[in-house]
Amino acid sequence: MAGSGTAHMRNTVDAVLTVRDLTVEFRTGRDKVVRAVSGLSFDVIKGETLAIVGESGCGKTTLARAVLQLPPPNSGEVVFDGTDLTTLPKENLRSARTSMQMIFQDPISSLDPRMTVQQLIDEPLEIWGRGDRAERAERINNLLNNVGLDPELVLNRRSYEFSGGQCQRISIARALALDPRMLICDEPVSALDVSIQAQILNLLQDMKDRFGLTMIFISHDLAVVKAVSNRVIVMYLGKICEVAPPETLYAKPAHHYTKALLDSVPVADPTRQRKATLLQGEPPSPMNPPTGCRFRTRCNAASAMCAEQEPQLREVAPGQFVACHHPIS
Amino acid sequence: MRSYSKPTLLAIGWLGLMLFFALFGWILPFKEWNYVFEDDLEMGLFSSGHILGTDSNGYDLLASIVAGTRMSIFIAVAAVGLGGLIGSVLGIFSAYVRGKVDTVMVTLFNVGLSVPNLVLALALVSVLATNVDINQAVPTWRRVMVLIISLTIILIPILGRIARGATMSWAGREFVTAARSMGMKDIKIITKHIVPNVLPALIAVAFLAVGVVIIAEASLSILGVGIPDGASWGGMIARGRNDLEYAPHTLYVPLFFLALTVISTNHLGDVVRSKLDSREAKV
Repeated sequence: MAGSGTAHMRNTVDAVLTVRDLTVEFRTGRDKVVRAVSGLSFDVIKGETLAIVGESGCGKTTLARAVLQLPPPNSGEVVFDGTDLTTLPKENLRSARTSMQMIFQDPISSLDPRMTVQQLIDEPLEIWGRGDRAERAERINNLLNNVGLDPELVLNRRSYEFSGGQCQRISIARALALDPRMLICDEPVSALDVSIQAQILNLLQDMKDRFGLTMIFISHDLAVVKAVSNRVIVMYLGKICEVAPPETLYAKPAHHYTKALLDSVPVADPTRQRKATLLQGEPPSPMNPPTGCRFRTRCNAASAMCAEQEPQLREVAPGQFVACHHPIS
Repeated sequence: MRSYSKPTLLAIGWLGLMLFFALFGWILPFKEWNYVFEDDLEMGLFSSGHILGTDSNGYDLLASIVAGTRMSIFIAVAAVGLGGLIGSVLGIFSAYVRGKVDTVMVTLFNVGLSVPNLVLALALVSVLATNVDINQAVPTWRRVMVLIISLTIILIPILGRIARGATMSWAGREFVTAARSMGMKDIKIITKHIVPNVLPALIAVAFLAVGVVIIAEASLSILGVGIPDGASWGGMIARGRNDLEYAPHTLYVPLFFLALTVISTNHLGDVVRSKLDSREAKV
């Protein structure tokens, strides 16, 4: 699967972010290279929520950080608002990055335990000298109100006095402080209780509507993704398997990996018989990925061709693109 | 208000007393430490006029202890302060930058740690604190300086490694990435986010290091390369050693002060560390 190809690119002027052929590699030894993201392309249109799903270690987080140039990718382009961030000088990058903010998976470790909420949210404002002290205080109050926290109660407390959900709210307030155009959420709810997850998802949706944000939403939880996204990219071992709107993807997955992922979602029905064959084994090491289609070693439909030729993304239904030689029809 | 356990209070009290001796010992109505009481040789503990007795040369032990405190504490604090400063700057920088700089730094730290402390100090002191003309005595201030420098060199890798390790763990946290994504400069990230978080771990180790330095300084004095003429605790021990059979208290008195001080600093180091751990667990 896992193929390359650009058939799914919409090439429109409305694209806020266009990523082309992004590659991220890490050196882990003398000749060992981990290919975390291998030649990935996608675009995000203004106001859209793009979800990226895939199992642990498939390169989702690396991809998100590479978009922010933290660290910069090894090759490829990241065009945000018409500027390629990969070629931007350091100082310009510093300011360009502020219109893209990130929400992290671990709500507690994303806040400095030594700082009060006031200082945490003031930090981005202070760096860029947005307003004087009084204006900033006003802004901090507004932001906290927006994310559903009472400024009076929280301003002088530190992160360890809050629950995970509250910490995530603070992170969101901090991320919004610089009026970003895009929010990159890296598994923002996977560390939270299910009841809190819904609250945070609603909050993100709410903020998105209110401030006209564009979002990249990374998750391994398909139910969560279904609720928030307009378009889903399924990733496996640093490559794209399938791109589709969530309704299509959930109703009619075309890639064998997408199907396996959907089948692995537990259904609250003890009488239901499992007919799906679950994926066997572990994903191969990204240090030494399989030839051709990267998913072939765990795929039931794999043929000789899969080992030789890398499948390219092609459209199998309107808006649904799949990188597979033998898509499910 | 936090409550402290009894041993902790004792340790704080003892160190406070030592600090007082070191800073204000000279205003106390004690005798001159290097005045020889020719009529009061080898007096025992609690003798009239000499609470801690005198040694075989007629020096008043209490006065010597108070004077020695100044030297021992001054050397320890100076060495730990200097070593801590240099070590943590190097450690934090190399852990933050990573890559080749870090590899080189770790190698240097390991080389420094692999040489036994005393041997290194002995070598440094004997090279730096000698006169070409062996008949001319090396001035005390120069020996003190050399002692501080060599103890600092010993401490740099010890404290530097701690700083490096702590920085590694904090720099990997997501709030550092968040700070970068909002456009904070690296220097500011280090001073605002890394240093305040690394500091508690460094302070805990610095307490332990003070103990190590006091012992090292005493050991060097006993070996005859430290502060001459018994102006420090180690020097007193070195002198008292000869009188062990006849006047054991001349040896035990400085040993007692040395041991209690080192136990106190070690204990306080542990307290700081455990306070840190519980805070970390809450985080």
